[in-house]
Amino acid sequence: MTAIQGRRKPITIGNVVAFAILGVLAIGWLLPFAWAFVTSLKTETDAGSTPVSWLPKDGFSFDAYARVLGDGNMLTWTFNSLLTSVTITALTVGLSALAAYAFSRLDFSGRKWLFAIIIGSIIIPPQVLIIPLFYQMLAMDLVDTYWGIILPQVIAPAMVFILKKFFDQIPIELEEAARMDGASRLRVFMTIVLPLSRPILAAVSIFVFIGAWNNFLWPFIITNDTALMTLPVGLQTVQSAFGVQYAQDMAMALLAALPLIVVFLIFQRQIIRGIATTGLGGQ
Amino acid sequence: MTNDTVPGASSGGLSRRTMIVGAAAVLGGGWLMTGLTGCAPVGALAAAPGATQLSFWHLLTGGDGIKMAGLVAASNAANPSFFAKQTILTWGTPYYTKLAMASAGGRAPDVAIMHASRLPGYAPGGLLDEWDIGRLAQHGVTEANFPPAIWNSGFSEGRLYSIALDAHPFILMYNTAIARDAGVLGADGQLQQIDTPQQFLEVARKMQAVTGRRGLSYGYLGDGAQMWRLFYTFYRQLGASMTLEPGMPAQVDEDAATTALEFIQELLDGTIATAAGDYATAVAEFVNGESGMFFTGVWELPTMQAAGLSFDAIAIPTLFGTPATYADSHAFVLPRQANLDSVAREDVYAFVAGILKDSFAWAEAGHIPAYLPVVNSPAYAELLPQAHYADAVENLNYDPQAWFTGSGSDFQTFFAESLQSVLLDKTDARAGFQAFVRRLNVLLSKPNPVG
Amino acid sequence: MTTTVRNAELRAQAVSAAPSAVGPVTRKRKPGENLTGWAFIGPFMVFFILFLAVPILWGLYLSFTGQTLTGRGGGLVGIANYQEALVDPDMWRSMGNTLWFVLLSTVPLVVIALAMAVLVNMGLPGQWLWRLSYFMPFLLASSVVSLFWIWLFNPQLGLINAITGFFGAEPIAWLQDPKYAMLGIVIATVWWTVGFNFLLYLAALQNIPEQQYEAAALDGAGKWRQLISITIPNLAPTTVLILVLQVLASLKVFDQIYQMTAGGPGGTTRSTVQYIFEVGFTGYRFGYSSAISYIFFALIVIISIGQFAVTSRKGVKK
Repeated sequence: MTAIQGRRKPITIGNVVAFAILGVLAIGWLLPFAWAFVTSLKTETDAGSTPVSWLPKDGFSFDAYARVLGDGNMLTWTFNSLLTSVTITALTVGLSALAAYAFSRLDFSGRKWLFAIIIGSIIIPPQVLIIPLFYQMLAMDLVDTYWGIILPQVIAPAMVFILKKFFDQIPIELEEAARMDGASRLRVFMTIVLPLSRPILAAVSIFVFIGAWNNFLWPFIITNDTALMTLPVGLQTVQSAFGVQYAQDMAMALLAALPLIVVFLIFQRQIIRGIATTGLGGQ
Repeated sequence: MTNDTVPGASSGGLSRRTMIVGAAAVLGGGWLMTGLTGCAPVGALAAAPGATQLSFWHLLTGGDGIKMAGLVAASNAANPSFFAKQTILTWGTPYYTKLAMASAGGRAPDVAIMHASRLPGYAPGGLLDEWDIGRLAQHGVTEANFPPAIWNSGFSEGRLYSIALDAHPFILMYNTAIARDAGVLGADGQLQQIDTPQQFLEVARKMQAVTGRRGLSYGYLGDGAQMWRLFYTFYRQLGASMTLEPGMPAQVDEDAATTALEFIQELLDGTIATAAGDYATAVAEFVNGESGMFFTGVWELPTMQAAGLSFDAIAIPTLFGTPATYADSHAFVLPRQANLDSVAREDVYAFVAGILKDSFAWAEAGHIPAYLPVVNSPAYAELLPQAHYADAVENLNYDPQAWFTGSGSDFQTFFAESLQSVLLDKTDARAGFQAFVRRLNVLLSKPNPVG
Repeated sequence: MTTTVRNAELRAQAVSAAPSAVGPVTRKRKPGENLTGWAFIGPFMVFFILFLAVPILWGLYLSFTGQTLTGRGGGLVGIANYQEALVDPDMWRSMGNTLWFVLLSTVPLVVIALAMAVLVNMGLPGQWLWRLSYFMPFLLASSVVSLFWIWLFNPQLGLINAITGFFGAEPIAWLQDPKYAMLGIVIATVWWTVGFNFLLYLAALQNIPEQQYEAAALDGAGKWRQLISITIPNLAPTTVLILVLQVLASLKVFDQIYQMTAGGPGGTTRSTVQYIFEVGFTGYRFGYSSAISYIFFALIVIISIGQFAVTSRKGVKK
């Protein structure tokens, strides 16, 4: 990557100023997390009292977490998010990889046209489809079902494009050798192409997963039954009988944020490289 | 592409096998098929074994929410055959939008609470199922149990779609200590009889002299519901009506509207009442004894009681000749089910009947129960200050009927957009009302999506 | 803001110069390959047709009907919906709000991201901390972001007013006051999504050859001079890319506005997507809502083509 990292920097005025700016920005960017965390450890009365204070006046309390977890909704929504996001990721990557391979390697009738149509469809904002899609889900009796959440999210023309560009660069000789030995196309795809594409598949999968996990608009439209809601939708939709409760709100928000932050810490390299490569692919 | 994604550069690690096996499992997976088409997989609930699960939606939070939670818990305890699980959604547009979408989708909650004023936007469109009057009677709930105005608010096109739990009128609360010092209490210890706008202004000024701050609290900024509630009370007291017939211009009484609005302007003079108050400020003002009177809904009663305030409440005095007060009702409805579970439906009847009979607890939250046996009970007569405004039930005025009116509707938003400047900046009342009517006429000229 | 998937799609859109350049297959079609090809493409096409092609065409059809949520009014009404939309002040207002949001948010999302990336790229200690803190908010769902910021912006109890109050400022009703509501949304949005642009810039910075700086240093150019004459010009393509992505993504804003202000106060923050949602699901008017969707779609296509024209010309110059 770069030679800059790891090198000892001399202490100059410029570096000190830069360091100070970085620090101020980091504090600003972390502040909402810290404030949410402190609030979540207060009692509700403490959270709702003035003047605003960093330290809990009534001492630290895990009451908010106990109530949020005891309610059961959070677990249901986390399960729903996991189930739908994993399914969407698997379907999206699977379908896109197969299609991308066909566009990259196979000659079939209508190939040019189809590819143009699929790439052209990247421009369609999913937001303009909400009305007809909901209407369609009504007709298919899929409103308030998991499939209703999942199916409209698995089409990602951009992924076909990204994967095809990648497949195009794989030396064709590797495959031709296998073909000589009588391997079928599917076999070649599974045993040669996919293994070579591991980094890009990982990057694409992680991005599709994050997108599905955080998606709000479509799951919000298609689910009314609270037992089927995903985390983002449940958090926004369902209220407490007690009205607004700041400590519990912050506890829920932090718990909801946790899974993806863990995912990020584990896959940090792939995510950053994914942004760098697919984000700037071709430049 | 940069160098580090050149194919072949990588090796080992997270194997393709994991990936493919995972994908295959999902693509063809039988377990998922069953998992995905079924209902909620996780939902730890304290239901008795064999009990029917009832999903119950409402929009009540705060004091109302806590009371309702208690009623639901009591009902579950008393009826082992079902377990009602309440789901609370955000009050207003978000709630009504979701309720309509759920009904259209056919997998709606078994029972829900709506404002009776919203019925015209739901019932004719087939979003609600009808109540069976005979079946209600089997559970001891009949027309005779309700004041006529409240019972009738549940009808749309001649069919019964909602059963009211309460009526929640706009009322006048007053601080008894301040009223005593101002010398505006009658011989019975309640606020003296007030029959004209002038008398009301006098009383308010006397109280203002006592508090040194304000005579009256009324919060309306950015709150169409609040503006509409007070306006419609006075408008109806003037004997005026409002008819909204799709395809025709709104039929309104512009003179009455102007009179009502100009009177409210007079109140919001910065002395009697603050010229620019929002809802929360008005509550705080009254709670802190900085004003003597408070135009508000019955639902603020628990707030005042919790604050330990010495106060009483009455129906809004008849200032313009005709007794009238704005009100709405929380009412039980049956959202449309595509595949009706007849056992659950039967349980819903038992659930609703039980809560109605139990609604004395609901009266404690300030609301006037719709179920007469509760209101006529000796216990209710002694429940103060609730009993002091129970007569408001005789003069309830629900929103004019149209698919777009009712609590938390666009109608109230439009009212705010057209009239806030009339109240805040004292712009011309008639012009403001005319702007509102133009807005209504646009809505009325469009096809009715539910009719 | 939209999802990461959309961002990825937009990225692909931005970089695909020639959509119909299909790649390296040049051989003559072999027997059986047609079938194999369709077997590979088939599953994708089934979903593509069902959940993209059908709805886009169905939406077009709906926009010429009076269809409602309740199933009534399904008959054709000609272009009445489009006529109504063109004189609908609420639609134009929502478009105005949307463009205002795009303008207000794009500049800080580019400038702050650039500043962050340049500073981090200086190689000062704490690399992982800077990256983590700037990028972490991007991983949050809109609901979490909204909960955080509704609480931070609380007029009485919020941290923001406590901080500004410390410096003597009057408390502001950030999300309830028409003067500040959009600004509040923009602040939350910048906090949320600037990390993505930051990483794009950082990646681009690390691809600038070190030799350019060494050569400039030999010529006696100071750090500031190097920033102006080497770093910024080298980042031009990235800046163009970020601008393209940002504008397209911000045009479709819905989540955080709907959750933080619900479009209020008094409709001052209602975006076009929210108006589409409300006309359709709150007002039940599927037909009319579809018409507005199509007008909005047309706007996006026009803006995309405009951007495309500008960026490809840039590409030629380079």
